[in-house]
This record gives sequence, structure tokens and C-alpha cells, in this order.
Amino acid sequence: MNILETSDLGRRCGADWALRDCTLAVPEGHLVALVGPNGAGKTTLLNIAVGLTAPTEGAITVLGDIPVGSPEALDRIAFVAQDMPLYRNLSVTDMLHLTRNLNHMFDIAYARDRLDDLAVAQKRKIGKLSGGQRAQLALTLALARHPRLLVLDEPTASLDPVARHDFMATVVTAMTDDGISVILSSHVLAELERVADYLVLLTQGAVRLHGVVDDLLRQHLLVTGPAGTPADPRWHMLESREAGAQQILLVRVDSPPGTPLPVQWEARPVGVEELALAYLRESTNYTRPVSVEATP
Amino acid sequence: MTASVLGPAPAMTPRPVPWHRLAWVTWRQYRTTLLAMLGLLAVVAGVLLARGHQMRDAYAAVQACAPQASAACRFAFLQFRDSYGNTGPIGALFVWLPAIVGGFAGAPLLARELETGTFRYAWTQGVGRTRWMVALTTAGVLGVALLSAVFGVLISWYQQPLIATDIQQRLHTSFFPVTGVAVTGWALAAFTLGVFVGLLTRRVLPALALTLAVWTGLAFLASSIRDHYLAPLVTSNQQLGSGAHPIDQWWTKGGAHATDAQINQVLQGIGVQTDGGGNIVAGPGSGTIDPVQYLTQHGYTQLTSYQPGSRYWTFQWIEFGWLTILSALLLGASVLLLRRRPA
Repeated sequence: MNILETSDLGRRCGADWALRDCTLAVPEGHLVALVGPNGAGKTTLLNIAVGLTAPTEGAITVLGDIPVGSPEALDRIAFVAQDMPLYRNLSVTDMLHLTRNLNHMFDIAYARDRLDDLAVAQKRKIGKLSGGQRAQLALTLALARHPRLLVLDEPTASLDPVARHDFMATVVTAMTDDGISVILSSHVLAELERVADYLVLLTQGAVRLHGVVDDLLRQHLLVTGPAGTPADPRWHMLESREAGAQQILLVRVDSPPGTPLPVQWEARPVGVEELALAYLRESTNYTRPVSVEATP
Repeated sequence: MTASVLGPAPAMTPRPVPWHRLAWVTWRQYRTTLLAMLGLLAVVAGVLLARGHQMRDAYAAVQACAPQASAACRFAFLQFRDSYGNTGPIGALFVWLPAIVGGFAGAPLLARELETGTFRYAWTQGVGRTRWMVALTTAGVLGVALLSAVFGVLISWYQQPLIATDIQQRLHTSFFPVTGVAVTGWALAAFTLGVFVGLLTRRVLPALALTLAVWTGLAFLASSIRDHYLAPLVTSNQQLGSGAHPIDQWWTKGGAHATDAQINQVLQGIGVQTDGGGNIVAGPGSGTIDPVQYLTQHGYTQLTSYQPGSRYWTFQWIEFGWLTILSALLLGASVLLLRRRPA
């Protein structure tokens, strides 16, 4: 089952396209990192996926073949929006009651236990909570709904490093314990590198790269050879720089793994951040999105 | 880091969240507004009850005066009219009550969600935004209707001695829209207008200001069309029945409309002129002859168009009717817009 499937999805905002020609098929069971610079269309894509925004063109389904915004989709997807919008004048307890009454199922005992563990005073007004506590509350409210898919828009942007770590630890625990899928957007790739196992890279409203992180890493190499040496024609060059008498290339290798390198070239594996940066830089002369099929 | 673990997810059920769950949501949403409104109601009721009882005592004294035709009793009545006939600042407040009750409940409903971004929370919960909106607006409509009706009854009760003595007419524009069922119509119009405008402006204060402005414009418009809900009656009788609401007056001679020039020509004989607006003003050297009688003697007839006081309830239901239709249209438009509106 694909938790998110889009074809030629697009949304226009005035004269510009916030998102265009977005075609994706994200399988379930992953922690999906939706990465891109500010204004790349991450929030637009997520808002469409949770039914807040209608697409201008194209089609989108979630959790199999469920249309976005339908009662089933709303029931099974929990969304934590950017900056954790919650009613600041409500107490934590009232916020729990509110969420319980707005949903079919809400595990209030779980929510209370978790907030106790986090030492969040439940009589406090939400406006008086720290940023980290508010983020944890928003996440708790989302998890207690027993979602199949958790969508988080820039959840860690306003958190300090400790709160950020705690937040991500909760997300990963929920994933492994309950088998829910997670889509998480961020413009900081570094914090996702350790936890995300599926990458979707967006720039200027278009998808540049998407696939399972391990597959992506297998298919890309950082190769080093003497300056002036011709590169292998099967390499798709993403980036090249010269370091003294050496040239260093970041390439996508379309040939099967294990194919020997041309003489004088040496290869080493590439990191996720390095790879993403290369695609982000390359996006100005981009031709088509790169999709890496999962290897069985 | 946490000992609590989610239990197994129950079987998926796509049936909608039951309405009774939304009762608590609705209560929590309106609690502050409701308390503020009840506070306002208490203040207005306190003022009206105190002054109303005072007025009733004074009115009882006027009624007890005997013989009624005596100069002393006439004087007592005039004194009563002078002290209570002009409602003053309270009267100004009356006119705004439906707008305050409806506008303050309606305008923030969607505008606050949109302004603070909490719509991203509210509209992605399992209940869905349509059900959420229907529950909140239904409760809002009921609350606003009930509260405004209470205000209407209070104002009616307060004005009752003034109506009984014909000092105030029930069809008068300072009384009619704040009593009966019209007051509820006006409050509902303010509420639904607030909801609709809030969805457009996405800001609480502009939504509130715009709601009050549009509502006031509508109230002015209504005060001018109200006289024509039914064709006005025309009489040559100088004394209209009790509670009648005069609309226009003009002179005729032999069935034809008499112009101001004609009237002035006749009135020159006694040194009186019209002021151009139809009123007769005494000029220098005018005698003691009543100009109206003088004109009547010369074959002129004064006609008055008016709405009889007995049409009060008919007019109330007409006004309530069109305001309710307008409110329903505004709510329908809001729901449609909410369902499509990109966030």
C-alpha cells in the first residue's frame, strides 16, 4: 500500500506554481523526509495531503486509494502543522478533551500518561507552555488518535537541540512500536539523516529526487580521478570540483552495482546530506525527476 | 524515554463522529462569549428593570389622577412624557443590541481560527470541517436567537407604558427592530454576516468592524423600506389612531395635489408661509388664525399616509422573514466557501 500517491499534482498561487508536476508513490512503513529549501512547496504538498488545500491540477490519494479530505482520510491521518497551532487560551486538559471530542478514537489515558512522563502540567494554559512542551503536546494529541499516517510540517524548526532530540525520539518510538508511517518536512537535512529512511527532495515546486535512502545511496558514488581523465559515459554527473591535480565527481550510476570502475578512478560511498545538496545545487539545470526503484 | 505505549489501534470505522461529542466542543468555544453576553444582559436588565419600575410608578400616578380632563392631570401627563418619553443613551444602546449579540458571537468564529492558524488543527481532526462548522453555527444561531429574544422582551416590557400612552409608537424605527421577532432576525443577520465576513477577512477585528458597518447599512436600508411592507393607508382625519406611524402629509384641492406655491398663495392672506418642507411657519405679523383651519376653509384637504399600529405583528413577521432568508443564504455561502477554501 502506498501511503501517498500523486500524479502530476500541482497548485498555483496567483501567477506562480507552489507545486508542479509532482508525481510520487511513497510506500507505507517509512519515515519519509520531505526536504527542500524554504518556499520549495513542502507545506503546500503536505496541506494538500491532509485535505487543507485543494490541488489546482493532478490527482492524489492517501493510505491506499482513499481520497484526501474524506472522512476516512481525516480519521486515519494525524497532522501537526508548522508552529504547532493549538488554542493558547485552553488548558492542556481542555485541549485533550477537545481532541477527544473531535475524533472517533482518542486514547486519553495514553495521552495523560505521556504528558505526565514529560512533566507537562495539565492544568496549565497552552500559551504558558515552553516551545518544547507545546511541540510534545501537539505530537501527543496526534499520536493518541491512533493514526495510520502521521504528517509533521517543520516540527522541529522552533525547538532547541534537546527538545528537538526528544521530539524525534518520540516519533521514532511511535513508528517502531505502532507501525505507523510518518511524513516529516524540514529544510534542515542534518537532523533527518539518522532517522529518515525515505527521501523526497523538493525544489522550486518540483520533485528532484525520491526513493528509499539506502537505494539512493547505492546508486550514487563520489568518484575521484586525475584531472583531465574522461569520465565513464554511464555516469550521470551531478557535481564536479577540482582539488589540485584531482577531480572529484558526484555521479549517479545507472549500471548494476559491482560494475568495475574505469582505470585511474576511485570511488567511495556518498552521504545523504552530500547527495541532497548536490541535487539542490543541480536543480537550476534540472531536466527530469530522478526516481530510484526499490531493489527487491 | 517514555513508558507509555499505544494500545492496538481499534478497527477502522469510517462512520462520522457523533453530534453529541460536538456539544462539549461548542460549549468550550462559546463559553467566554456567552459569559460576556450574560454580563451585558445583566447590566441592561438591571438598568431597564430599575428605570422601568420607576416609570411604572410615575405612570400609575398619572393614571390615578382625577379628573383626567383637568389641567393638573394634563400637566402631570406632560411631565411624565418629558421624563420618560426620550430614552436617550439607553435608546441608542437598544438599537445596537442585536448587532452586538450577533456580531461578537459570529465574527470571531472562523476569523479567529484563520488568524491564529488553529484551523490547521481544527479542520484536520476526524470530525471534518463541515460537521465542525455545522455544530458551531447551529449552537451559535440558537444562542443568539434566544439571547436577542430575551433582550427584545425586556425592551418591550420597558416601553410598554410609553406605547400605552402613545408617546412611543411600536412601528417607530427605534422600537420596531429591537422588539418582537425582528430583534431575533437582526441578531441572526449580524451573526451570519460575522461568520461570512470572518471567512473572507481571516482577521477578527476587521471582520467585526466590517460586520457592524454592513449591518448598520442594512439597518438604515430597512428603516426606509419598512414603511412600504404593505401599502400605507391614507386619511384626511387629523387624528390618526393610537399607535399609528405617520409616513407623509400633503394638501389636496378637488382631488388634485396642491403645490407649495398654491398653499403659500392662500396663506399669504394670514401672513404665514411654508418652509418648503411642507411645514407651516408663522411669518411676521401673523394673526391668531390656525393656518390648517384657514386652508380647510378655503377648500383644501390635508391627507396623511400612515401605517396603523395594528400592523405591528404583520410587519414583524415580514422583517423576520427576509432577515432569516438572508441569514440562511449567508450561512449556506459560508459553508460552501469553507468546504472549498484553500487554507
